[in-house]
Amino acid sequence: MEASTAPAGPAPGESLREFARGHPQAVAFSVIVLMVAILVGAYGLHEVAQSTLNGLTLGVVYALGAVGLTLVYGILRLVNFAHGDFLTFGAYMAYLVNVTWGMPLVAGIFFAMAATALLGFVSERVMWRPMRAKGAGWLHLMLMTIGLAFLIRSAVQWFWGTQIRTLDVNITDSVSFLGLRIGQTELVVVVVGIAVLLAVGLIVRFSLLGKQMRALSDDMALAETAGIDTRRVILYTWLFAGGLAGLAGVLSGALTSLRPELGFELLLPIFAAVILGGIGNPFGALTAGLVLGIATEWSTLVIEPRWKVTIGFVALIIALIIRPQGIFGRAKEI
Amino acid sequence: MTDPVRGERLLDVDGVVKSFGGIRAVDGASLRVGRGSITALIGPNGAGKTTLFNVLTGFQRGDRGSVRFAGEEVLGRPAYAIARRGMVRTFQITKALAAMPVIDNMMLAAPEQPGERFRNLFLRPRAVRAREREVREEAVRLLEVFDLGELAADYAGTLSGGQRKLLELARALMARPTLLMLDEPMAGINPSLGRRLLDHMQTLRAEQGMTFLFVEHDMEVVMNHSDTVVVMAEGRVISVGEPQQVREDPAVVDAYLGGAAA
Amino acid sequence: MTAPPPAFTLEAFTNLGFWSGVLVIAGIYAVVALGLQLNVGYTGIVNFGQAGFMAVGGYSMAILVLEAGFSFWLALPAAILITMAFGVLIGLPSLRLRADYFAIVTLAMAEVVRLVAQNARGLTGGNKGLYCEYEGASQTCFDDSWRSVSDSILGFVENFWSDPEVLLPLLLVVWATVAIGIVFLEYVQRTPWGRVLRAVREDEDAARALGKNTFLCKLQSLAISAVLGALAGFFLALFLATIHPDDYEPIVTFFAFGVLILGGLASYRGVAIGAIVVWTLLEGTRFVELPISEEKAAALRFAIVGLVLILLMAFRPQGLFGKREEMVLGD
Repeated sequence: MEASTAPAGPAPGESLREFARGHPQAVAFSVIVLMVAILVGAYGLHEVAQSTLNGLTLGVVYALGAVGLTLVYGILRLVNFAHGDFLTFGAYMAYLVNVTWGMPLVAGIFFAMAATALLGFVSERVMWRPMRAKGAGWLHLMLMTIGLAFLIRSAVQWFWGTQIRTLDVNITDSVSFLGLRIGQTELVVVVVGIAVLLAVGLIVRFSLLGKQMRALSDDMALAETAGIDTRRVILYTWLFAGGLAGLAGVLSGALTSLRPELGFELLLPIFAAVILGGIGNPFGALTAGLVLGIATEWSTLVIEPRWKVTIGFVALIIALIIRPQGIFGRAKEI
Repeated sequence: MTDPVRGERLLDVDGVVKSFGGIRAVDGASLRVGRGSITALIGPNGAGKTTLFNVLTGFQRGDRGSVRFAGEEVLGRPAYAIARRGMVRTFQITKALAAMPVIDNMMLAAPEQPGERFRNLFLRPRAVRAREREVREEAVRLLEVFDLGELAADYAGTLSGGQRKLLELARALMARPTLLMLDEPMAGINPSLGRRLLDHMQTLRAEQGMTFLFVEHDMEVVMNHSDTVVVMAEGRVISVGEPQQVREDPAVVDAYLGGAAA
Repeated sequence: MTAPPPAFTLEAFTNLGFWSGVLVIAGIYAVVALGLQLNVGYTGIVNFGQAGFMAVGGYSMAILVLEAGFSFWLALPAAILITMAFGVLIGLPSLRLRADYFAIVTLAMAEVVRLVAQNARGLTGGNKGLYCEYEGASQTCFDDSWRSVSDSILGFVENFWSDPEVLLPLLLVVWATVAIGIVFLEYVQRTPWGRVLRAVREDEDAARALGKNTFLCKLQSLAISAVLGALAGFFLALFLATIHPDDYEPIVTFFAFGVLILGGLASYRGVAIGAIVVWTLLEGTRFVELPISEEKAAALRFAIVGLVLILLMAFRPQGLFGKREEMVLGD
């Protein structure tokens, strides 16, 4: 009878690499700290802090968009190219309430969230569930999302045309604190966004629905056998995703302006946040979205502002090449 | 320690380690396979058999250790390179290519096809055509051996489960293997088909000196059709020997009763 | 993407110039979609970056002619090589990714190309695009050589047809390319190399277990697709007589997918027919007199494309000419 010899100990240097592979968050965190240190050294604390604050407004939009998208992608393996147009839809719904009907922005926000949630809900009942029942693969579904994206965008263009519109928001007043300036609207965006993100985080972490969503994301078949009503959870996920997308759209529209391409322009950075955060991981998406927004703003310290839009894409490409499962995803053979 | 391998060592595995995110699926496994033998790799669930199998065939990258096949080190080589050297594997869930006709499945597997290199399509068209003819003849002949000749033009997706298993074996043979690695060959098939597969295995061993290593849960097959049994538990090889010896080894009994049942 | 000149009357319905333009665009999309068919329909790699390859091809050609002083006829093969190299560069790190990740990476790559084109003003002319360079009194345009060839062809045709359609030479070249592309790809598909590709499409692991270097095949497939993308980029630049970042937006790739789906996965001839059908419908509907504004009409056409895409995927995923048995992608 032959037994194998005891395994040899790890080679030097290999244990550090194993640590890095096992703790990507620590690596990412150290990288960010390093970046901050370099930027502060080069541009001064005030510049970096102001830049961070500006980036937060963008980050909040990315995070809201990413959380919804990652839940849908994780649970249904649906690459939803129409998600960007959900944002657009939300923005224009807010326009309808806020400008056309003259009501305050708050009402617009609620209406936008509800309308977009409904849109997500309807798409699930009418399109995704029947297609899944037919056994449609992810490519078929993705191509359908492209069709849906076209439909939503053309509807927006039909009713509101291509001209640039703005929400009825205060774009001139600003607030200062700690020597930093932030526009009044920007402040509202950040506050609302962070409040909602916190609420979402709490719901996903502690509520029954949140646990069920995470269970489905991990293993749909297992969740079914465990007795979870997957159909219901899926519907709630769509409501969630739609509502968050709608909010992201309104906030983005409030910060900039409304045009039919609004959502699509945000789509790829949002995908970047989803992938960086690990598909199906709402906390990862949230963090990655915020970091991505801030990093995009930081980039303007170093490169010309017109290039900052490329940051999202470059981050996405690098993420997929170095660590496709994301910073917060679990190590799997991809 | 007696070395149960008689004859030339075709496969020599030493101290293979493979971890996934902190878990050591294979924790220093070693084994030997002699040419012309039929070796079974068994063990309770979670023992690391599948992972080791994947590392040996190149479908997963081992962290450490050595795998020598026909005298050459192959640990870390890409899966296709290992297959070309003669270590051909099948899959537990058959991978008969459903969207291709049966004959295409077979012709695909033939080695040394100049037509598979893009530039040869334009630089050496005659060599490409000649080899295609050869490959087609060989494929037809082999399909006959497995009683699949009539299905040659059908899409593999239209075959029954049993026929697909046979196709996968026939296809693997087209690749001219020296060592056939079978991943749970008996999984999900009826006993009569199982007997046919085992008969083919024995014939191939007797007529061509083909060597087999298979992962299996079916103890009847393991006990009655293998020369050597390798038992794994918790990522290591805990016992090696003839089926009767291994069955009585207390370490093995312990592993199966103490851990998850096979 | 700019379209042929608008026309609203019934006389214009039979306007040869208009329909020639439509056929040229259809041909350009056919070339793009042939590459897509090789990738998606036959190799199983979901390439969303064709617009990026078109841009790299078109811009390389124009930059070589206008800024490096290349002759047009030398710039063409050089730009093809550049685009192919770019395709390989993209493919090396990303082809090992899961199919949906690959789709997203290629889409992101194409957008990066477009954004670079938009912002690297010194090299690419930024938002002004590229057409001609002016040095004092003289001007060089990237299509000068093409124009003289085109004029010679027209001069020859005038012997049989007194007022030849000005787009005829381009139309012939584009559709000749489509035809050659179809013949070439259909031939290659029947070879052992094509067989490995089809195996990779369905199950890459099965192919690897049989000793096939699947990564290399995928890379080669992507490189060929890049070449086709570059050709399409050339034709587009010649047709529009300009190179501009707005002409390489993701919508171009999405429309190419629409052509691919309509024609049917795994059918090269279907691609050609699909392209003609899509663009005839899209542009032909300009003649339908509706009491709506131009903007709304555009939105409506867009909506119809989206609806057709959805309905096709739901009820006839194999398109017009695809084979149901060969549809494996997307499991």
